[in-house]
Formats: sequence, structure tokens, C-alpha cells
Amino acid sequence: PVAQAPSAAKSGKDTNFKDKEKSGSVRNSNIVAAKAVADAVRTSLGPRGMDKMIQSGNGDVTITNDGATILNQMSVIHPTAKMLVELSKAQDIEAGDGTTTVVVIAGALLDAAQKLLVKGIHPTAISESFQRAATQAETILQNMATPIDLSNDEQLVKLATTSLNSKVVSQHSWLLAPMAVNAVKKVLDESRPDNVDLKAIKIIKKMGDTVEESEMIEGALIDQKTMGRGGPTRVEKAKIALIQFQLSAPKTDMENQVIISDYAQMDRALKEERQYLLDLCKQIKKSGCNVLLIQKSILRDAVSELSLHFLAKMKIMVVKDIERDDIEFYSNILGCRPIASADHMVAESLGSADLVEEISTGGDGKVIKVTGIQSSGPAVSILLRGSNKLVLEEADRSLHDALCVIRCLVKKRFLLPGGGAPEMEVACKLREKANERGGAEQYCWRAFADALELVPYTLAENAGLSPIHTVTELRRQHANGHANYGVNVRKGFVTDMKEENVVQPLLVSHNAIKQASECVRSILKIDDIV
Amino acid sequence: LIQMATGAESILALTGRRTTGQSIRSQNVTAAVAIANIVKSSLGPVGLDKMLVDDVGDVIITNDGATILKQLEVEHPAAKVLVELAQLQDEEVGDGTTSVVIVAAELLKLGDELIKNKLHPTTVINGYRLACKEAVKYLQENLSFPVEELGRQSLINAAKTSMSSKIIGPDMDFFSEMVVEATELVKVTDSATGKITYPIKAINVLKAHGKSARESMLIKGYALNCTVACQGMPLQIKDAKIACLDFSLQKAKMHLGISVVVDDPVKLEAIRREEFDIVKRRIEKILAAGANVILTSGGIDDLCLKMFTEAGAMGVRRCKKADLKRIAKATGATLTCSLANLEGEETFDATQLGHADEIVQQRISDDELIIIRGTKARTASSIILRGANDTMLDEMERSVHDSLCVVRRVLESGRLVAGGGAVEAALNVYLEAFATTLSSREQLAVAEFAQALLVIPKTLSANAARDSTDLVAKLRAFHHKAQQNSKLSHLKWAGLDLESGEVRDNKEAGIFEPAMSKVKSIKFATEAAITILRIDDLIKLDKEEPRGGDQCGA
Repeated sequence: PVAQAPSAAKSGKDTNFKDKEKSGSVRNSNIVAAKAVADAVRTSLGPRGMDKMIQSGNGDVTITNDGATILNQMSVIHPTAKMLVELSKAQDIEAGDGTTTVVVIAGALLDAAQKLLVKGIHPTAISESFQRAATQAETILQNMATPIDLSNDEQLVKLATTSLNSKVVSQHSWLLAPMAVNAVKKVLDESRPDNVDLKAIKIIKKMGDTVEESEMIEGALIDQKTMGRGGPTRVEKAKIALIQFQLSAPKTDMENQVIISDYAQMDRALKEERQYLLDLCKQIKKSGCNVLLIQKSILRDAVSELSLHFLAKMKIMVVKDIERDDIEFYSNILGCRPIASADHMVAESLGSADLVEEISTGGDGKVIKVTGIQSSGPAVSILLRGSNKLVLEEADRSLHDALCVIRCLVKKRFLLPGGGAPEMEVACKLREKANERGGAEQYCWRAFADALELVPYTLAENAGLSPIHTVTELRRQHANGHANYGVNVRKGFVTDMKEENVVQPLLVSHNAIKQASECVRSILKIDDIV
Repeated sequence: LIQMATGAESILALTGRRTTGQSIRSQNVTAAVAIANIVKSSLGPVGLDKMLVDDVGDVIITNDGATILKQLEVEHPAAKVLVELAQLQDEEVGDGTTSVVIVAAELLKLGDELIKNKLHPTTVINGYRLACKEAVKYLQENLSFPVEELGRQSLINAAKTSMSSKIIGPDMDFFSEMVVEATELVKVTDSATGKITYPIKAINVLKAHGKSARESMLIKGYALNCTVACQGMPLQIKDAKIACLDFSLQKAKMHLGISVVVDDPVKLEAIRREEFDIVKRRIEKILAAGANVILTSGGIDDLCLKMFTEAGAMGVRRCKKADLKRIAKATGATLTCSLANLEGEETFDATQLGHADEIVQQRISDDELIIIRGTKARTASSIILRGANDTMLDEMERSVHDSLCVVRRVLESGRLVAGGGAVEAALNVYLEAFATTLSSREQLAVAEFAQALLVIPKTLSANAARDSTDLVAKLRAFHHKAQQNSKLSHLKWAGLDLESGEVRDNKEAGIFEPAMSKVKSIKFATEAAITILRIDDLIKLDKEEPRGGDQCGA
């Protein structure tokens, strides 16, 4: 049951010279393959969209509603189908949300292009008209958008809720949406107001309990256990050090050997090791540190039993195996400097917090919670809970989407109504403008406009409404100048989406139309597969 | 615009198979129901056991839902969700693993029916969520009661309820007493927060062949499955001072990278002696601190054993580290992994020793055990199970573990509900009334949710070879009365008596379950059912070929 799409192209190859027929069939097969991909994700669009279950070759199961994840897991073979996968990835990186929308739009545009090709319009003409139509669409979107003030929390929460509505965790959006808003606001950098570094938001997933028990921590979470050995698991007035050197016996090089020729030296060798570690530990203690985070080490044991023993005696909490990539995050949030050598252990490099505590998350799971951090940098942690692995992972992806949506708004502070309203508005306005154009361009713009209507069409279809009825009604409203009308999935008819508080950031729709049309153009330009 | 949806299926270039729409939903539901059918017959006091034989030939006989499902090697992804569900319930609550799977499967089955009747899946899902929330609220407000109302007897009753379905059911009077006592012995009050916890992991459950289940015993102390290191050591020490060591007492070995080179044969002997002397000095320090019992996770050299024997101390080698940790906690000892102190010297201080009234090596069946009695810092408890064969002992261990979990949950959360299908029937009646107050499509889903809960009393009575239709109808009538007429509200404890096949007041009869277990199982089951109902597409990718191969060779 695998694609036979390129077979048409293969037969053309034998003739060994370029003819018009061949380029036509290549284009056709490309379009068909790409459309198939778009069709696969279409059912997961919108608040009533369904999930996909994907079982990979090694038996791992993913349940998701996120377009980018679905396409990524599906491992398609056809090269143009892959372009659509890339497209949704690009949307994921740029906007973070609307990854399904972008693919659906691209699929619809391809469908439109195919019909135009049949009519005999040259691919280049189509491609260029589409580009101009897309630019026009961007202007239309910009005009219908309303600016938003970032201090308006209520508005932001609504936005995050819209993004979460289509996910499996939608009934928890009352919890997750404000969480996403607060998290992004926390890490917002005053000096760079146009962007947000989402890496500064650490999401830690722990099985057990239900999603309701998730929480945002005003402080840091570390997904590790304390090392125990009688050391403390709860430290008040903590001084935290983040070290990048190892607390274990130094190893000699491979070729070198320490040679002992006298029995008295044996005891000394053992003593030396103890002394060496003890000195390190004492230096740590001297700086006033009582919580020690140790970077993961590959070459040597990050920490030996003996040094743990010493540190426990000094009442220092030890956490090892901090990933190298996380060093920046932790040094940021804890307000401490990573320390590369014991000689640099000084009080100034330490971060301070009111409480560092190991908490149990049910079963064997444990995390370390740091609260009341002084001089904390812009970083937050979120503890996600879920009753099974699949729900937990999907909750993670959904929260990520919500965070991205808020980030979009920071990048471009405009709002659009949701529920297919922007797409319908663009379609209506484009159709009007099309009449001002001449020749094939008019045809192409109309087709472009029609293609965009697939978004409200699909929304209605997924919600179990009559798609034809809904789309025509929507078209009527927009023709009468009600630009904010969209498909109200919950009520089952067409209403003003702004009043319903269904909103989405401008950047998402903006990017979706721009990137989808660019992708379609590049597919149209291909006339040969080798 | 519209045609693009059709016919594109076969063109989607995938190295795998794709199933969509209703067929995948039904397929998922069928798989889930199949899983539930396996465990269905083991629910309740008269439920039966399963015998599972794995590929090596090991036999497990069990009645515990989580254990059964863990042993099945389930392949279907949707069925796996249910298996995980049982395991989650096992981890979070420890009991009720069978019922959670049965409820989830029933929710799926009824939900699938609704969807087949053209109700949109999201409507079903919304209805289920609403019903779940409402059910949990009603349960907590109206159907549960605090432990204090009935005191210790309620703990014993809760333990009995959980045992009634298991192999130790016939001896439940005996075992419930034992389990409650064992749990009470490990009570820990957090000095900082004042929170009381019952770490049941600290109860050491040992299994010994022979005799009958009734000869099992509870030991107020810690039973260690080890023996003294050599014959000459004393087998009983009163007023024990215990050293817990996490290192070997063996001849010192140099680290890698250090080599010993001798060119004079006389020095060889000196080096050998020094190797031994390093350990000897350590042992002397430990003994000098007054230790007369030395437990170590590592080994003890024969040469060193002599020193202990001469000092009249008991030495035990190769103890499990987990055991040592618990013993250290119970006796107030410090588990020491090195003798080094902060001056870089090696010392052993008397404060690192733990204390107990008596340590004795006892023979139980074929094995000898070391029993630590009268621990000073904290009380400890161990249970030694006796039984005819291994499979029976294993099942007894699981049953005791379940009961321990139940007792702990009751003690920690402090609320109970009546068992025997009472809660499910009450929720069913309540939710059906609630459904009629909804004017939207969710009404249907809420009603089906209510219907799904009835699967528990139905299965209970069917397993007991009673007429389930008859009994469940009676039961619902009682609960209807209780909810309609506030004077008759005592009827809300009505549950099934499966021995006689009648409806009775299960609160009076002492059939209790922890409220937390019921709440969690309703929540978990709903979440699992929703996860599966939302799926409308299954993409199964082929296994990746190790060698490139002809991938398009379909």
C-alpha cells in the first residue's frame, strides 16, 4: 500500500527528452502526493479535531493532535510530501501554533493550482499570481487585526485558551492557559521586547496524578534526586553552587602508573585520595555553599562515594547529573555562576534561595524544588502531571503550543478573531480585488480565495456541522461587512468570534498564508524528478 | 474544494498502514474491551484467579489486575493504554486495579455506541468529563465518611474488604489484624511539618516455605534474610550496638593506575601484611566504639571474621542495601560508607551506632533469619508469610501488599466509602438524575457514563453466580429512595452481599474501601477512555529494514 505516484514520471523518463506532457505529469503527481499529506492531518484541525495514534517501527506509540508532530512521525517518502512536512516544521519554529492550518492551506492551494493548470494557465503565471495574492492577503489580515496591550492578562489568557481548545487537555485550559501567560511574562526580557526565549521555560514531566495537579513553580525545578547518603533533603536559606568540575579521585593518564614499592606508601596513597577530596569539599564548604549542583560528567565519575560522604557530613545537599545544556538555564534562574574549578569557589558565585527541597511525585519519582530565589533571572519552571505517558506527552506539546502563541503576540502585537474568520475575510476581500485584475491573474486570485475557505469548511466538518451551509452563511456575513464572524463550534453556527473570546495572534495566520503559498510556489516550479 | 478529501488514501506515501475514522475507533474499543474481559472474572470477593505461564515456564497464579495485565504481552497500542492504566492505579493507590480497567472499557464501549449513532466524539468526551467531575464531587460530599466515625475497626474492615477477593480471603480476620498492626508500627511523624505518613515500604515482607498461611507472623522488629558470617559468632546478643557499613571489610586493594612494584622478596610479605593491616585498623576502630553487631553490604574476609569472633561480636555480610537503610533508620544508626572524617583521618564514633534490645538468629522453616527486636529510634515491623508453595506465597505477598496500601490510604486520607457496588450504584442514580437536567447533547453521554459505572455491581454479582439484573435493579431502587427522600438517606450505604445474594447496608456490614481509591479510579478511567475515544486515525509504520532494501516494493 505504498505510493505509486512517481510511476507516471518514470514512464516519461524512457523517452529521454523533455516534452510538455512529462513536466505536466510530474507536476500532477507532486501535487497529488502533497495533497494526500494535507488530507491526512485535516481531521485534526480545530477545537473538535480528533487525535492521531501513530505507532512507529519499534512499537512506540504517540497520540497527538499537533500537525507538526503528526507529520514528523509519519515518515513519508515522497519528496514533495516531505516538503509539506518541512512546511509544518517551519511554522512550528516560527509561530509554534497553526501547524495543521498551514498544511491544510497548502493542500487547498495545490488543489486550486491543479485546476488552474488544467485550464491551461502556465505554472509560472499561477505561481506569480499566488505570490501577489498572498501579499495582498497579508495586508488584508493586517487591516482587520486589532492591536493588543501585553499588560492585558485577560486577553492573553483567552488567546492561550483558544490554542489549547483543540487538544486533549482542553478541559484543563483554565489551569494551563494562565500558566502559559504567566510563564511567558516572567521570562520577557525588557531589553529585547520583540522576542521571548522559550528555552527559559523549563517543563518537567512526571507521571502520576492528573493534569489538574500540574503547577508552575515560582522558582526552579530540577529533575533529579538528591544523592542521599545521609545528606539533607531539605535546606532552608540555601546557598546554591553549580559546579562543572568533578569530585572524584583524579585519574592518571592511561600510560602513566603510580608505582608503590614500600608498604608504608600504601596507606599514604589512600590517605592522599581522602585528603584531596576533603580539600575540595572544604573549599566548597568554605564558600558558604549548602546546595551543590554538579554537571554530568562522562570522563570521570562526577562525584565519588567518598566525597558524597564528606559532603553529607558537612550538611550539603548534592544533586548530580545536571545536563550540560541545562547549565545556562539553571545559572540563569538560580542567579549563580557556573564554577569550573574549585579555586573559583567564592561566595559571590553562589545563588541564594529560601528553600531547596526534595519532593516526591508519587511512585519513585522525585524532583527538587527551589523556591524563594533571590536575584532570580528570567526563567520559570513548570511541573506537568498526567495519568499516562501518552497524555503527559501530549500535554507537554499542547503547553508548548500555548507558550508559542503568547510568544507570537510578543513578536507581533496584533490579534485576529479565530474560528476561520480571518481566512474567510481574506477570501471575500480577495475576490473583490480580483475583479480589478486582468487576464489569468483574475482567475488565480479567485482560486486562491476559494482555497482559503477550506479552513472554515474543515472546522465545520470536524465539528459535525454541515460544511456547505456553514461556509455559505459565513460568506454572507462577511459580505455584509461582519469581518469578525467565524464558525462557532460550540454553539454550532456562525457568530462574532471576538465576542466569544476566540482569538488568535496575527503572526500565526500571517505566517501560515505566507509560508503555505511559498511552499506551493516551489512545488509548482518543479517540472522534473530525477 | 470538496473532492480533495477522497481517494487520496492510497497516494499518501507511507511505509506503513493507515486506518481512519470509525473503523479505527471500533478497533481500539474492541481491543480495550478484550483486555477488560480478561480481568473481569477476577473482580470481587468471589472472583477467580488466573494462572499465567510465561515463555520460560514460570507460573504465576494471581487475582490482582495489575499483575495479570503486566504479564500479558499486549501489542495493540490502545490496549496498552489500559495496561498502563492498571499499573498507574497500582502505583498511586495500590488497590482497585481490576475495577479501573473494567470501568474504562465499559466507558469506551458505551461511548463507541453513541458515536456509531452519529453523536460527535467531542460531545461524548465533553459529557464524560462533566459526568466525571460531578461524580467525584458527589462522592466526596455525600458518599464518604471519616474514619474517626468507626475507629480502628474501620481500618480492619477496609483491609478485610481488600483481602476478601484474594487467596488469603478465608483467613482475613487473622491477616487484617496483622496488616493494620504492621502499618501502625511504621507510623512516622515528620518533626518539621507534623505530617504523619505510613511508609509501608518499610514493612519487610518475607516469604518462607512450609506450614500453613495461618502460621504467618508479624514481628515487631526487623527481620533480615541473612545469617551470621561464621559459626563461632554468638547467635543472640542482648542490648545490641549496631554498626551499619556500606563498604567491604576486605584486604585493601589499590586503585587502578597504582601498581605495586617490589624488587625485594622480604618486602613482599610486608606489603601483604599492610594490605591486611589497613582493614584491621578499621575494624579495631569500629569495635573500639563499642559495636557488637556489624552489618555490612559488602563482604568480610575470613581473616577479619576472626577478629569479630574474638571480640564476641556478630558480623553479617552481604546485607541488601535497602535493608540496611531501613535498619539504620529504625535503630538510629548511621549508614556509613566511609570511615573518613573531616580531618582526613579514619575514625568511627559511638554516635554512629544504632541500638536494639535484642538481635537473634532464628530458624524459620529451612532458612535462618536474623531478627532485630526492640529498635530504639523507631518501631519497625516485618511480616513473615508461610505457605505451601512458591506461587501461593507470591500471591499472598501481593495480596498483603494490596491490603497494606489500602490501610495506608485510609490512614492518610482518612475517608472511607462503602464497598460492594454501593458507590457505583449511588453515582449511577445520581448521574442519571443529573443528566436529565442537561438540555444539550451531553445529556446522552452523561447518561451513558452513569450506565457504565453499573458494570461494577453487575460484574460482582455475575462473578458470584447471582442474577445480576435482579440484584442491580434492587440496589438501584434502594439508592433512588435514599436520594429522593432525605429521611431514608441511610439507605445510601446499600451494597451487595455476595455470599447470600442480597442487598444490605454495607456500612454496617463493614465493607469499606478508601474514598481516595474510588476517586482516583474514576478519574483515571475517564482520562484513559477519553484518550482512546479522541483517536480517529492510526498510522502503523513498518519496522525499519536493517538494510535499505526495496522500500517501495508494495
